[in-house]
Amino acid sequence: MLKMNRRTFIKVSGGTAAAVATAPSLLKAMEVELGGKDFSPVTYGERQAIPITCHVCNIQDGAIAFVENGRIVKLEGNPEHVSTRGRLCAKGNAGMWYSYDPDRILYPLKRVGARGEGKWKRITWDEALTEVAQKLDAAIKEDPNSIMLKFGRQRSGGALDRFMHTLGSATIVNHTSVCESSKKIGMEPTWGPDIETPDFANAKYILNFGSNIMEAAYFHNPYSQRIVEGTAENKAKLVTFDVRLSNTAGRSDEWIPVFPGTDGAVALAIGHVILRDDLQDSDFINTWTNVKVEELKTHYQQFTPEWASKLSGVPVETIERIAREFATTKPATTYTYRGPAKHLYGSYNEKACMMLPIMTGNIEVRGGYCMPRGMGWPQPQPEPPKPAKPSYLAHPDEYPLAGHKVSHLTPFWIAEGKQKINVYFSYQDNAVYTNPGAQAVWGKLYRDEKLIPFYVSMSPFMGEETALADIILPDCPYLERWEPESMPNSLWPWLGIRQPVIKPLGEARENRVMLRDIIHKLDADGSRGMKQYWNFKDGEDHMRHHFDNVPGLKEVGGLDFLKKHGVWPIYGKLDPATGKIVDKTGREIKADYGLHKKEIPEADMAGATIEANGAIMKNGKAVGVQRNGKNYVGFPTGNRLINVRVDQWAEYGFNPMPTFKRIPWHETMKDDEMIMTTYKINVHKQSRTAAVKWLAEIMHSNPVWMNTLTGNKIGVKTGDLVRVESAVGHLVTKAYVFEGIHPKVVAIPTAFGHWEYGRLATLKLKEKGGAFGAQDDPDLKNVWWTDNGVHPNAIIPVVADPIGGSQGWYDTVVKVTKAGPNDKYGDVQGNWEKHLEAFKETLRYAYTGDLHRKMHPEMAAWGGPESVKHKPAGGH
Amino acid sequence: MSELRLSSIETRGVPGKKRYAMVIDLRRCIGCDGCMTACKAEYDVPLGVWRTWVPYRVVGTYPNVRKQFLPRLCNHCDDPPCVRSCPVGATYKVEDGGFVLQHYDRCIGCKACMASCPYNARFLLPKDRSYTEITGVVDKCTFCHHRVIQGMSPACVQTCIGRARIFGDLNDPNSEVARLVATLPTQVLRPEEGTKPNVFYIGADRNLTEHGRAVYNPPEVLERDRQAFDNHKA
Repeated sequence: MLKMNRRTFIKVSGGTAAAVATAPSLLKAMEVELGGKDFSPVTYGERQAIPITCHVCNIQDGAIAFVENGRIVKLEGNPEHVSTRGRLCAKGNAGMWYSYDPDRILYPLKRVGARGEGKWKRITWDEALTEVAQKLDAAIKEDPNSIMLKFGRQRSGGALDRFMHTLGSATIVNHTSVCESSKKIGMEPTWGPDIETPDFANAKYILNFGSNIMEAAYFHNPYSQRIVEGTAENKAKLVTFDVRLSNTAGRSDEWIPVFPGTDGAVALAIGHVILRDDLQDSDFINTWTNVKVEELKTHYQQFTPEWASKLSGVPVETIERIAREFATTKPATTYTYRGPAKHLYGSYNEKACMMLPIMTGNIEVRGGYCMPRGMGWPQPQPEPPKPAKPSYLAHPDEYPLAGHKVSHLTPFWIAEGKQKINVYFSYQDNAVYTNPGAQAVWGKLYRDEKLIPFYVSMSPFMGEETALADIILPDCPYLERWEPESMPNSLWPWLGIRQPVIKPLGEARENRVMLRDIIHKLDADGSRGMKQYWNFKDGEDHMRHHFDNVPGLKEVGGLDFLKKHGVWPIYGKLDPATGKIVDKTGREIKADYGLHKKEIPEADMAGATIEANGAIMKNGKAVGVQRNGKNYVGFPTGNRLINVRVDQWAEYGFNPMPTFKRIPWHETMKDDEMIMTTYKINVHKQSRTAAVKWLAEIMHSNPVWMNTLTGNKIGVKTGDLVRVESAVGHLVTKAYVFEGIHPKVVAIPTAFGHWEYGRLATLKLKEKGGAFGAQDDPDLKNVWWTDNGVHPNAIIPVVADPIGGSQGWYDTVVKVTKAGPNDKYGDVQGNWEKHLEAFKETLRYAYTGDLHRKMHPEMAAWGGPESVKHKPAGGH
Repeated sequence: MSELRLSSIETRGVPGKKRYAMVIDLRRCIGCDGCMTACKAEYDVPLGVWRTWVPYRVVGTYPNVRKQFLPRLCNHCDDPPCVRSCPVGATYKVEDGGFVLQHYDRCIGCKACMASCPYNARFLLPKDRSYTEITGVVDKCTFCHHRVIQGMSPACVQTCIGRARIFGDLNDPNSEVARLVATLPTQVLRPEEGTKPNVFYIGADRNLTEHGRAVYNPPEVLERDRQAFDNHKA
């Protein structure tokens, strides 16, 4: 039992008294240090600390891993990290269970039964690499683009692109269209960056459209810290528009329920009130945007609060009041995440929201809506050339403005024969679970050996997708690999590193190493010209190529500095008295505001010409904008201005000005129909945390939320079984009836209802652990829950935003009824044919489709799809 | 000397003695549950039991609805009923610091302390754990004694995203906890029990702090859901 007896305890206490006596007494300070060290509660010995960057989700928090007896026992925030300031969320604190998952795959596997039958044979790395190389060889000879790589979350710092370009394939498909792509496309043509960095800590008013920042979203941890500072210390008001009471809505000063997809209309009406009452920042609009105030006023006249109120259900008085509050409280910022963007016309919604900080001049000011601050790193040389031939799947013709691709339509396009696939790689992706249609669509694709003749999954876990693979290459979870990092998750830019805390377990190899090994197998003697791009000893060596020549970092030690500190630069010290990063004088470090107002150095102006509108032109490109005799760099757009009018959209028959389009099938909803939305919760991410025991313990099932009014109407109370039916399928789950959701909405969170992903995720705990070489966890005998939830994606049809290409996750019309006698808890059925119909239907809204013109009567003068056919597809 | 004292002597205002306390500012708690998993990791806490946990409730009527979180842990009482009820002296209060701790090699697992704790802050360790060998005895929050004596904050305080958890010496008038308790209205849980808790809340709703005993059951929300949802097991 216990190793420590009474005598040793007293000894420890004695030592303590001395330590305490020397501790300085700081006025008003939490007189204990906030991190950086950890001790064993049993032996009181200090645990070894290794700085890393967290990668349970995609926020990239600075972290420290603590090791005891060779085992990662604790994770905490890195107190030297400017953005996350020593703190981690529930997910980050539990990340070691990726490494110690008892169902982890620790050696290469080859399928021996039928696809998805679950029969595997252990093979050696050499056998695996030889087979993969043979298939690649044949595919390259036929058409390099027939090699496809689809990734979910990837932080390889360029390794995946390098791999595909080495093979000569352009068929690289991401996952962004099921994530936030229409938010990005709503923003990029307008002001350049794909996301905002609000200065929440110094704001006085925060208007949140559909982001659940206190639980998930970009950037949960660092932004939540600043929102709390803003609301608790700076007395900022936080107003949240959402269809349901998320933790964020529940902790806001005001939660304003809104009908799904109508945030954009509300934002336009708020803009209407601001412009009508002359509360805008005319100076900012006239100086920094490509429209004038009068033009904007005229355009916004149509968006009355009465109009928006009818669509959204938000009272006219509320819209008027919020508009006045937002415009007259300075500084103020908006924030959005997937709420407005994940709809048929999500890009329009996002832009409508973004117009509010623009028209009130809250851009790039302290406490306002700022541009992201990121940092880059050079790529190791030489680099493979980009493939000559474009790939349809990477840049589909129907979505020329969707610069972040339209990955969720991939199965239909492959089934249609748009791109032949010979070899399919997946990396940290689980489309069978995460995409609309789920098993009904992606499951069908992967099971079809004609469509996907050879499927290689690079994964440490037997997820829904990996379970359908032909070869599984055991990848490393984040605590066992090298990766370069930077994320604009605060107002201070940083570079960071992810380094192995322990050696890869079993035969696992980190991704960049296994990619190198595949290439070396293909081109053993270098005669094919591939090997030269993969010339590194190991992960660390690859990082040296990235980091050892970054100016500034190089001087302090390059990679060695990052290995020691985890992040660069170090802006200051974490002050236990305030929880903030302070400089040597004890004051909080200051952020740099007004990036667009940086002046171009005189030397760089040589050879530049100034156009009538102030654009500073150099080599045929706008490099800045002249205002009041000063040469400013402006915004990172083509004309260095904020483009309220996006001319590129008009070329394809879309409205270039801020606008709103109601979702047509929401207009014709019947009385007993509702909208089903999905959401993320505080302790899980989309698909990869169901096997993390501490998170699964906190939440493991996902009853469908409905309002008390709805429950009363259909005779359902909490715990009752209900049947949720959409146009493409149905599911049976339990109801959670309460006050915190719009009466016309039902909501089901994702992360639950796994049918693969190991014994804990599927609650098949009677099976033995360690089937693929991992060590079992005795604690799993203590699992006390018996319900692992129901996954809704199979009944969600595809919807693609014709501009941004994003999936309309929150557009699904459903009927909810009390379950019948034949309905069983956990039933989920989706129909491929019906999903295919939904795919064809959504293509009708693309600029090439027949509904496009009907949806845009204001663009009657547009020349039709033929007028832009000559343009190359793909944003960037 | 900080020799262990099997006493309930309170350390309030005793010169030279520390009296550690936690202030939980509910205006700053976002309900992220970071503290829950940080604590699980710090102590290899098995499934089914918690040293700290964050129940929540939804209050109000649509559309005027709010969510309230109430982070919970051992109150390290100045007059701890658990210490009084332990028949073998396994539970004790450290005079300097005020930690209420557990002597695992004395504990006989009789659960008298669990029954006497008005906060349900104690639990019996199951026989299976991931890598720690201490099992089958009663365990509880230690205010991270092993970290605090090294000048560190407790693990839950360290990771708290909202900086809702503040920790320090209440006997030191310059400490942040002393200042917060002195200058802001604070609440303690179940004051009527006379336990003199050392966990103080700022902004706790009376409906949360002065409810009947049942509301403090550790798996309060989970338990209710579990019962509701277990009806449909196949």
